Amino acid sequence: MAETTLPAQPVSPVRPVSPVRPVTAAAAMLTDVVGDRADGWDRDGRLPLDLVRGLARDGLLCPEVAAEYGGPGLSAVEAGELTARAGSLCSSLRSLMTSQGMAAWTVRRFGSRAQRAEHLPRLVSGTLAAVAFSEPDAGSDLSAMSTRIEVAGGTATVTGSKKWITGAAYADVLLVFGRYGDGAAAMLVPATAAGVTIDPVPDALGCRAAGHAHVRLDGVRAPADHVLAGTGLPLDWLVTSALTHGRLSVAWGCVGILRGCLGVASRHARTRQQFGKPLAQHQLVGAHLAELLVSEQAATRLCEHASRCWDAGTPELVAAAVAAKHLAAGAAVRGAASAVQILGSAGAVDGHLVARAYRDAKLMEIIEGSNEICRLLLAEHAMAVWS
Amino acid sequence: MSAPVHAPRPDEAVTRDLLAFLQRRTRTQVAADVDLFGSGLVSSMFALELVVHLETAFGVEVCGPDLRLDNFRTVEAMTALVSRLRGGGDG
Repeated sequence: MAETTLPAQPVSPVRPVSPVRPVTAAAAMLTDVVGDRADGWDRDGRLPLDLVRGLARDGLLCPEVAAEYGGPGLSAVEAGELTARAGSLCSSLRSLMTSQGMAAWTVRRFGSRAQRAEHLPRLVSGTLAAVAFSEPDAGSDLSAMSTRIEVAGGTATVTGSKKWITGAAYADVLLVFGRYGDGAAAMLVPATAAGVTIDPVPDALGCRAAGHAHVRLDGVRAPADHVLAGTGLPLDWLVTSALTHGRLSVAWGCVGILRGCLGVASRHARTRQQFGKPLAQHQLVGAHLAELLVSEQAATRLCEHASRCWDAGTPELVAAAVAAKHLAAGAAVRGAASAVQILGSAGAVDGHLVARAYRDAKLMEIIEGSNEICRLLLAEHAMAVWS
Repeated sequence: MSAPVHAPRPDEAVTRDLLAFLQRRTRTQVAADVDLFGSGLVSSMFALELVVHLETAFGVEVCGPDLRLDNFRTVEAMTALVSRLRGGGDG
């Protein structure tokens, strides 16, 4: 028993080697499974379903779902880090995380105890979800939604038309928002139910492999308990809760876009020589890199702040998520444009990381509250808090 | 050994906190029985802030069937909701 005779280890002031944090391991796993394939997925307009389902089975598409439901139970800050990693690799895949995360959060918030116990374990064990808000006549103005959910006897029925639903082409279940009585409700609709038609959006500008689709619901029936229990709130309340989660996710995704661009652009500027010296030594190129760096840091800080508010349950989280999304989306658009500029012809090819970033980032200024809607919300908040 | 005469009932403390939160956030003084939605004081963003505030300030979880407009219509209604969720009400 030689071990027992060893002197006790002195307490080290430096932390000993700690086990790898779950989020670090998950991020490394994402990097590994995506590898160099995102370019091809973008050109094909399709992610491999087995890969997506595998990530869903590991709970990585909605990593905040608590351990009591079989989820990874990451904090909002940790989930943000993971989302940023996905965003740096493939914004299409990250978009699916945003959808699955919103679906899980909405079930968590608006589901009854029984509904949470039934549906959350599914969302972390392979079931793929899409969230259906927008309609042909209800984009930024979601209050114009006309989809109607009705419950009679033990059956819920939903009729309506949804547009540009991220992930719908892959989804097993659609979380459909609609009018319900005088208020609103969200209903879980199996994608295979009779009356569901899913038409993929061809040739999307960005996030081309995110499975965007238009969804028609013609008198689709499901058991009444597929309507989440928190019914009868005003539509904009219900939607704001889900969108706040989505905005934070999109914001972290934009941080990822900036990180991806920063890496590729910096490496290119170091190795590519023109006029007898590396691009980085040309000051106008250096200026692009400097702005990219500051953008990534600013976006990260706002995202961290919003996620910490989320974890601490601070009401400020609502406005902080809008601010983070607004800043990060604009920063990603400008940053991606700079990265394409630095790469020049090397990046001006469909599928290339900076070409994808350029197209994907633009969509981030539109979804989950356009720039304009974000500004309206932030102005309203400014008036409430600062006037 | 009875509680001091001045100690507010738990419900009163909740009501006071909510009135203060509303005043801070909307810059409007409201009475506990004012219909907050009829008054136009509550935007969708602020509504979510209210839910988060209730949860954090009073250690309750407002989920599922408790997310009904009637539970948020007045400060009195929110006070009753908190009381019920804390197990102290007539639930």
